Amino acid sequence: MAARGHVQDPNDRRLRPIYDYLDNGNNKMAIQQADKLLKKHKDLHCAKVLKAIGLQRTGKQDEAFSLAQEVTTLEPTDDNSLQALTILYREMHRPELVTKLYEAAVKKVPLSEEYHSHLFMAYARVGEYKKMQQAGMALYKIVPKNPYYFWSVMSLVMQAISAKDEKLAQTMFLPLAERMVEKMVKEEKIEAEAEVQLYFMILERLGKCEEALHVIRGPLGEKLTSELQSRERKCMMLYTRLERWPECNALAQKLLLKNPDDWQFYPSYFDSLFHLMDQSWSPPDDAEHCSEGSVHHTVAEVVRFVEERIKVEDEKDSRSLRGPYLARLELMHRLRERGYPEENLPGEPLDLMVQFFRKFGDKPCCITDLKIYLHLLTPDQHVQFINRLSEMVPLGEQGEDGFAFPEDTKSLQRHLCVCQLSRALGLHHSLDVGGKLRLIAELKAHYHHGLKFGSSALKTELQFSDMYCLMAAHVYIDLWTETGDEDMVWQCLGLLEEGLSHSSSNAQFKLLLLLLYCRLGSFEPVVDLYSSLDAKHIQHDTIGFLLTRYAESLGQFSAASQSCNFSLRFFHSNQKDTSEYIIQAYKYGAFEKIPEFIALRNRLNQSLHFAQVRTERMLLDLFLEADVVLSLEESVKAMSLSSEEDDVPWDTLRDNRDLTVFTNWDPKQRYGIYHRTRSLEEEKAWLRIRSLTLRLLASLTPSGHASSQQNSEMSNENGVGDRSSLHRSLLSQLNQTLHAAAQIAEKHVQYPLLGPPSTRLASALSVGSCHCQAAALHLSVHLQELESAGLEILNKSKGDLLEMKESKLKTQPSLLENLVFFLETVSIVLWSASYCAKILRPLKTSLQKKKKKKKDVNTAMPLVVCGFQELTGNLQDLLTQTVEHIRGQESGITALKLASLTLEGCSRVGAKNISAQ
Amino acid sequence: MAMERLQRSLVPAEGATGGSGWCSSSSSSSVDSNGSRRKMTSLRPFTCDDLFKFNNINLDPLTETYGIPFYLQYLAHWPEYFIVAEAPGGELMGYIMGKAEGSVAREEWHGHVTALSVAPEFRRLGLAAKLMEMLEEISERKGGFFVDLFVRVSNQVAVNMYKRLGYSVYRTVIEYYSASNGEPDEDAYDMRKALSRDTEKKSIIPLPHPVRPEDIE
Repeated sequence: MAARGHVQDPNDRRLRPIYDYLDNGNNKMAIQQADKLLKKHKDLHCAKVLKAIGLQRTGKQDEAFSLAQEVTTLEPTDDNSLQALTILYREMHRPELVTKLYEAAVKKVPLSEEYHSHLFMAYARVGEYKKMQQAGMALYKIVPKNPYYFWSVMSLVMQAISAKDEKLAQTMFLPLAERMVEKMVKEEKIEAEAEVQLYFMILERLGKCEEALHVIRGPLGEKLTSELQSRERKCMMLYTRLERWPECNALAQKLLLKNPDDWQFYPSYFDSLFHLMDQSWSPPDDAEHCSEGSVHHTVAEVVRFVEERIKVEDEKDSRSLRGPYLARLELMHRLRERGYPEENLPGEPLDLMVQFFRKFGDKPCCITDLKIYLHLLTPDQHVQFINRLSEMVPLGEQGEDGFAFPEDTKSLQRHLCVCQLSRALGLHHSLDVGGKLRLIAELKAHYHHGLKFGSSALKTELQFSDMYCLMAAHVYIDLWTETGDEDMVWQCLGLLEEGLSHSSSNAQFKLLLLLLYCRLGSFEPVVDLYSSLDAKHIQHDTIGFLLTRYAESLGQFSAASQSCNFSLRFFHSNQKDTSEYIIQAYKYGAFEKIPEFIALRNRLNQSLHFAQVRTERMLLDLFLEADVVLSLEESVKAMSLSSEEDDVPWDTLRDNRDLTVFTNWDPKQRYGIYHRTRSLEEEKAWLRIRSLTLRLLASLTPSGHASSQQNSEMSNENGVGDRSSLHRSLLSQLNQTLHAAAQIAEKHVQYPLLGPPSTRLASALSVGSCHCQAAALHLSVHLQELESAGLEILNKSKGDLLEMKESKLKTQPSLLENLVFFLETVSIVLWSASYCAKILRPLKTSLQKKKKKKKDVNTAMPLVVCGFQELTGNLQDLLTQTVEHIRGQESGITALKLASLTLEGCSRVGAKNISAQ
Repeated sequence: MAMERLQRSLVPAEGATGGSGWCSSSSSSSVDSNGSRRKMTSLRPFTCDDLFKFNNINLDPLTETYGIPFYLQYLAHWPEYFIVAEAPGGELMGYIMGKAEGSVAREEWHGHVTALSVAPEFRRLGLAAKLMEMLEEISERKGGFFVDLFVRVSNQVAVNMYKRLGYSVYRTVIEYYSASNGEPDEDAYDMRKALSRDTEKKSIIPLPHPVRPEDIE
């Protein structure tokens, strides 16, 4: 804190210990110390605020808030109190209160640069762009420093970006911002790079590309020095937008001459050529081609240019660059795409790719580079291609097993690359079962042989031959999915575990193991594998789905709840975190980052995974905590769950999953987009079902209604009516969603194992869980249906988790999944039943009273009550059956464990038993 | 590779009062700017969207995934120092994250490498060297005296690479890396390379004794 440096203020000395306690996390002592100080110095407001911080941090929010308000109403102007209140309100997630604080302060001290600047930042934190604009100008009037002026300009740009009406942005905010900057330009007051950057942003957003180009190429552009190649990149972008293809072409050429490996300029170079050809452009007779220099406007010229770059690389003594060689393939790809007759001018694709391999086959990235150009080969060239590459792989003498191995790591890398390319061309997939098994044997042999090159590798390094192991695992998975032979996946697990033992930080091994264990229904090893990946922060959003998809469906409720919590903690801190750095960006003039930070915040807030973990966490809480009678209501209240409120941003949901996290050489990667789209559709449908289920459960309790809480008088009269109409509307939404979901499920989209995981939707529908839950929620209408549906689910959950069939062990993870569905469903049925009981009870009592009065033995109970009694009776039976089934499974598994315990020395135990008898 | 120690602070440091200009106090001396010789595939500024795509780089035991604030701090303050390399197929290959800091008057104004990491499949291409070269060039332009970085003493691969790139051990920082997963605290080498402004290479004369983390700036 600025004021803490001034030793002369005795208050600072007095407050010091409280700051220290707070800094050290000793909140209790901080509160005590503050109380002590306040006894002596009643008017030391800052002590009150620091006490409030202590209270806030020990969970006493209400007390903290009222204490803070006490000081706020005094409109403090001392630095200590203001800063402390700022911290407190931020921790309370009430940044809007900070603006009030400094609004009062600048009114009292109108010439304070510091308070005005704090006020600006307080507005920035809550995104009050208009007020920021004014605050920036007010600051500039007090102290004419450029940053303040440009804060105000940027606030105008932000008003433009956030304006719902694009017209308003284009005709009002941006032109005003432009005029403000122009004024500074005319007065020659532009000082810093950030100011030019902002000018450029404004012109670009206005579509004034000519003007922007003028700025960038002029003296102001010379200020753009921090970022490497900033001016060149901006010019290129502007030429493209202006469709000034000659300049585009000439500039790309110049930049590629300088850096023939800079990929970003090749596409501009090639595209400009095509545009020039489309326009039949020809160079002017006696003038320069354009302001950027000479232009290549024929395919022949461009091919020659690329060939020259390659020649330079070929003749170099030092390491050759990949760029020019790849560019030749890219050019061919683009020529072919456009159907130009010159498509083979650069050469024959097969030859070019063989050349590339000769040059770069020993680099691990060779596969990544060539993969995107494999479509240039015709299918009948595939085998020929692989054969020609194989000839270039130096291998040693053939051993007894018929395999020949590379003798150094460079040859290994070449051999591996050929294997990877074969797989990418689909040559592995077309093998029959025997062929695949032979391939696995070969890959395993290469894997084991290659381990010797990495015998001295550190724990943090990968083995040179790890990829063979991974590829063998992929072939096992092919066999498993094609033939259904579960032996294959057991072999695969064994191999991957072996791989991990030699290369303990290989993330790919861990990821695949994790996935396979989940698919087999075994969650226990998954927790350790995932935690050893050390995934955190943003990775919760990008790969957290690997854990949350399976934990719950495999019945690991507390692990599921925990993984949801990890993700939630990350998402919740996002809002506060990003605001701080938006402010920093103003301070340092990183204007182009401000919209970027806001976009990041939105992307995280609208994350699909965020919405999923939010919903599932609450469902899990209910499934785990709430019992029939009272606690559903308590839980709903504690979660402040409201049936009216839908907190999922359905229209803007962002799929942030990283589906490329698994290394994958399979061909047809282009289907990736298709699977992603289908998967997202399915995820959304499932989320909608879950979210509606949650809201329907909330609507079974009185506290799940926000309106009834807010307006208790109204609800006495209309509450029940509103509730039931809401319940009905939610039910009909659920029905519609289930209908749509059934249509999605009917498509039977088969995702590849390394693609997006399917949701629980299809099984939830086929096992009848969705249907039964909906029926339960329809209880009063569909008592009968409910009962049979419930029994059906249980029957589908029965069976042994581990089964011996023809002397082979067979896992049945789907039974576990069904059992979980059953448990979830039973919970919902029971809560619904309890809701009905509540309604039926008064009815029954009044009937009984009537009966007593009239002494009429013949008045039977109405059908509904009898039906309900029958239902609860049957539910009881159902639960008893379930408990028996689970006990049976438990003893089965325990028996297995016992068997493994006695494997060793079992004969002796047996002998003892006999002698004891 | 070098882990940054975060400072705990109760008080928000904000408000651009004091100086007359932008807070980034770069003492810009215009070093020759035409020497941007990039070698590898597309090298461009790191953006927030890259955070969603960097798993193949960050799922590495020596690469730390920081909280969002840490990345945003660098993007807000030193965006030019945060560079990512992208392959033609769109995969992220590697990135470097750095900053400029230190007092100009005491000739300690310098570039600092906070993190440098390359995905396994894009190693052995000289990408790390290229990214370091770029960071050095930016530091030259800002008029820095040297570039420094911290590296685990056990990370022999990285230490050797930095030596090849002209870095030398300036001092050892005792127990700079705090313990995790039951492993003991680890020392760091503070490695430096002089830039052209430090004509006599005073900044890299090794210290005779190791220092503790609290003694470094």
